[in-house]
Amino acid sequence: MEFEFDEDQRLLQQAVRETLAKTRALPEEELWKTYTELGWMEAPPVELAIVLDELGYVADPTPFLASATWFAPLAGRLPEGAGTGVFDGAGRFVLDADRADEVALLTSKGVQVVSGAQIHAERLVVFDSRLHVAHVTAAGHQLVAGVPDLALTGLAATTVGACRRILDLVVTHVKQRHQFGVPIGSFQAVKHKAADMYVAIERARVLAYFSALTIAEQDPRQHRAALMAKAAAGECQQVVYRNGFQLFGAMGFTWENELHIYLKRALAGDLLLGSATVARKALLALETEIAA
Amino acid sequence: MMKLASDPEIDKFVADFSAFVDEHMPTAEEASERPRSCSHVPEWARRWQRTLFDAGWLLPGNPPEYGGRNATLPQMLAHQEVLSRRGIYHSFNPQGVGIIAASILTFGTEEQKKKWAVPILRAEITASLGMSEPGAGSDLAGLRTRAVLDGDHFVVNGQKVWTSGAHDADVLLTFVRTDPDAPKHKGISVLLIPTDLEGVVCRPFPSMTRVDDIDFNEVFFTDVRVPKENLIGELNKGWTVANGSLGHERTMLWIGYADHLEDLIRDAPSDNEWYATLQMDLQALRLLGYEQLSGGKDPATISMLKLFGSEAIQRATWHALEESGQEALIHPARTAPYNHMDHDAFGQSWFERYSRSFPGTIAGGTSEIHRNIIAERILGLPR
Repeated sequence: MEFEFDEDQRLLQQAVRETLAKTRALPEEELWKTYTELGWMEAPPVELAIVLDELGYVADPTPFLASATWFAPLAGRLPEGAGTGVFDGAGRFVLDADRADEVALLTSKGVQVVSGAQIHAERLVVFDSRLHVAHVTAAGHQLVAGVPDLALTGLAATTVGACRRILDLVVTHVKQRHQFGVPIGSFQAVKHKAADMYVAIERARVLAYFSALTIAEQDPRQHRAALMAKAAAGECQQVVYRNGFQLFGAMGFTWENELHIYLKRALAGDLLLGSATVARKALLALETEIAA
Repeated sequence: MMKLASDPEIDKFVADFSAFVDEHMPTAEEASERPRSCSHVPEWARRWQRTLFDAGWLLPGNPPEYGGRNATLPQMLAHQEVLSRRGIYHSFNPQGVGIIAASILTFGTEEQKKKWAVPILRAEITASLGMSEPGAGSDLAGLRTRAVLDGDHFVVNGQKVWTSGAHDADVLLTFVRTDPDAPKHKGISVLLIPTDLEGVVCRPFPSMTRVDDIDFNEVFFTDVRVPKENLIGELNKGWTVANGSLGHERTMLWIGYADHLEDLIRDAPSDNEWYATLQMDLQALRLLGYEQLSGGKDPATISMLKLFGSEAIQRATWHALEESGQEALIHPARTAPYNHMDHDAFGQSWFERYSRSFPGTIAGGTSEIHRNIIAERILGLPR
């Protein structure tokens, strides 16, 4: 196998970074317009992971993730406007269901695409206030469970992006912050925590892209790869949240410092669709299934 | 680019090598005499290494005269993977082949290549690596073994330690201080010191795992007269050799770790969560390794592969041990299928496998040193 971005993928990554650096102050609608105009939603799995990684890095407030990785794999097409998917069998904790124009429901009769007005969605108050999460009731539909691999992969990629942001913020902070007359980043206790964050991110990053690659190539390992990606992103979040928060000292505990935005996005990314623990158990169950 | 399939050209390469292995690999019967240290190579293992050398399969990246076939980097990786997957040592003197001969081929003269590198590669002689000293471990550049030029000889005095296989080796690649007044990295040179020279004394000592596990040595040098022509590379440029030869070895080190993780997946099946983590570690390590080999990454990322791989093995061996419960007290015990082509094929208990994971996190730069390297060179934190 080969595991390296090609020139086009590198250029895409660069372009997405440049765009997002410029658009950070824009309102949600403008962001959404920019993303759709640039065709990011149409990107194939690996390229989509590149976009989502960067959207995680800025804790994107739009319904991009739900539209591209919750709606699309179920409906087999992109939504008109914003979309999401309901595939947990219960309609609980559905990303962007309260603001979706179209909703793909996984039901006992297969996938049913309905308009947002045809379901009842109750937005929940969650710790990441930029995130829309809702409980859904879809009268007349019998919901069944079946999480798309792309949804797991998408969450993994955005979580990795949020974790990368946390590490970047931490590195900047510990280089600038002086105590005892030296930057605290010169202390080995600080360096080692930062290094562990880096390793956790690298591990989760390659597993997220590998998962996207197996989806792109319709490889039989794709479900296994998606569970690994989701679990690794969650494990990464645990290390990055803990070490990142700790290394910021008291400053990380304030609303005024932007660190919390990314901590929350990373933690939410772990919890949505089941944490690392859930994904690891699913992975083990899959092994048993294959063995049987 | 990103793709799952390998190139047909690589597949062909793998098929050719696999066929060669099938035809020539020693049988378990032939291999009944076991190597007792990493420089003790029984006759059957010498024949095997020579067979590989002569066919250009020992180090395929080398030119034919040095046991290769000018293979590309992806081919070298494929070769390593075949060996790993099948649990085969291409040499039972791995440091001799992978580090010492490689150093001589990179930094030595044509004469040195013929006199030393080729015999090591053909398993006519074996070699060990003398780097660490009692006072120079992580701070290797602080080494104090002295070599003073006296006419056409260097006179060497000092001591090495942790020298694996020295008591069975014919020659030691030894890092010595040749300029005590220069800054510490700039006064080091490299000498090939035959172990039969007068004044070389090896004292082997057992590892903590078993009193009969004797691989490590203290090596004492007392007025040892080493011919001047045994200097490898330039005088006082030994640090370059250290980085070059070890660097070469390190780029593919992760394959060994991946192999080890794969063995653990085989040997310790479990329905507990750590077993899922183990599988993820293996997959991630392979991906990171492939990415590293495709180039363009900071060389310091090799530190990450080493740190991650060795610690993943440590975690997994601990869990396997713990999961065995009180059975894990029994030692020695067999926890893996016997494999005559593997150096570690002796029955190893989980205690031993867990304990042996510590050389992984200590030798070749401790985990702490590698964390420093990641923080300073990759993340840019101040020294």
